[in-house]
Amino acid sequence: MRTASINIDDSVLVQQSQAGDTASMERLILKYQHRIYNVILKMCGNADDAAELAQETFVKVIESIEKFKGRSSFYTWLFRIAVNLTLNHCQRSARTATRSLDAEEVDPAGETGQLLKDLLSDDRAVDPAVLAQSHELCDLAKRLLLELEEPQRAVVVLRDIEGMDYAQIADVLNIELGTVRSRLSRARSHLRETLETMLK
Amino acid sequence: MKPNPNLDELLSSFMDGELSPRQRTEVQRLAAHDPQVARRLQQLQNCRSLFCALPAAKAPGDLLDQIKSSLERQSLLQETPLIGRRSLGAWQLAFRRFVSAAAALVLMGVLGAVIYQIVSPVPQGGAGSGADTARPVEREPAGAGTPALTVADGGFTGQLELRTARLVQADTFVARAIENSGLSVRTEPGLVESQRVYRIAGSRASVNRFVASLSGVWNNFDGAVLRVDRPDSPEASVVVEAVTPEQAYAIVAQNSTEASVAAATGYAVANHLEKNMPGHEIRPLNQYQPGSLLAAINKPMPKETGPDTSVPTAPSPEPEAKVSLTIVLRNL
Repeated sequence: MRTASINIDDSVLVQQSQAGDTASMERLILKYQHRIYNVILKMCGNADDAAELAQETFVKVIESIEKFKGRSSFYTWLFRIAVNLTLNHCQRSARTATRSLDAEEVDPAGETGQLLKDLLSDDRAVDPAVLAQSHELCDLAKRLLLELEEPQRAVVVLRDIEGMDYAQIADVLNIELGTVRSRLSRARSHLRETLETMLK
Repeated sequence: MKPNPNLDELLSSFMDGELSPRQRTEVQRLAAHDPQVARRLQQLQNCRSLFCALPAAKAPGDLLDQIKSSLERQSLLQETPLIGRRSLGAWQLAFRRFVSAAAALVLMGVLGAVIYQIVSPVPQGGAGSGADTARPVEREPAGAGTPALTVADGGFTGQLELRTARLVQADTFVARAIENSGLSVRTEPGLVESQRVYRIAGSRASVNRFVASLSGVWNNFDGAVLRVDRPDSPEASVVVEAVTPEQAYAIVAQNSTEASVAAATGYAVANHLEKNMPGHEIRPLNQYQPGSLLAAINKPMPKETGPDTSVPTAPSPEPEAKVSLTIVLRNL
């Protein structure tokens, strides 16, 4: 038996939530909970903190849903709350980026070393599916993210992990479009330099 | 290739599809003609794929339940002070109601007392024949010995003679006024049909309550004379002819014997001049005798025409000072 999922627009669910329909709010939470949690986790690097921050995000959304005027989309409003909470959390706690990856040694002859060489290769593309199968490389990528400065990290996470366009990122972070562009470019350049350092 | 921030930003935006069609065409042309640009673009795309390859984490399965629990906790935390505020509000409301009820009871009591004084039966045919609900003024039988009423230091003795053609009615009213003023009273021995005599004694305040209660009917009397005994020679009293209730009130209200005598003297002179020079306004005596005791007298001003409606303002009487006044109701 197939279960049909009804795709209701966010604005409808928001209106129903503002009218006190808890089922609509639950649907919004269920719809975005994983994406919110994923973004928060990539930004803060701790599963427990991410769960707590995701919970705090939705609680704040529920408390503030009546004040939501719809000037931006619910999607960017939701992520704005989540990112702001996470950035504040990261600034309060010094848990993130406590060690530099510059001096981290990667065996160039090992599997991870070979994948890194492929990443840094300038003559062929790397299959992301292959990269995803390497737990070691994924852990390295997570640590690379955490080494970025928080403003750059937020931009990279929202773009490369959440898949937002620049306008949405600018809306979420309340920054100019050019700032999004420059931060993203600097973050990627920094990442590449770090990877090159690790393989030397 | 040496990193070029401007080129990297352009290539980064190109990867993300954030360039205009013209810029996009330009980058494609650059990459096609410049191998270094093409390799740089490939490096950036590979690096981006590192993050894109990161597996998406799933939220804890109980996140929704945790959210609900958090909301319930917050609700409880918010309800506690709310309950506290409600309790406080209830206490304040109860307190206000209590105060309002108490004030209403006090007001009702006062009104009841006033109404009782107004509508309670008035003793007819003398103080001794009052109704049961009213405490009659006790009169000693005629011929019985009357002990002298003592006057404390600072008080005075005197006599107020009221002349009336309706003795019975006046007697009833005076007896009632004495009773309501809380004065001790003795009747004068040798009561005759043509007059009623009461000896009252009390504080200046209580005597003045009696005087004030007479002020409403004062004009019904055909004449009023107040005698104030001098302390050094009681036989040489100061006689205030045609005394008004305001004058009597002011004399009683003085705070010493000397002041009462002085006030009586001033009013006696003023009333005498008024009687002998009708149509002339009599100025306050303290203007004629500056520096004398009369200057301290707080008294109403006799006027050329019309009744004196000023309200006497009396200084606070000495609680210990007693005034002994003989009230004589004389039938014309």
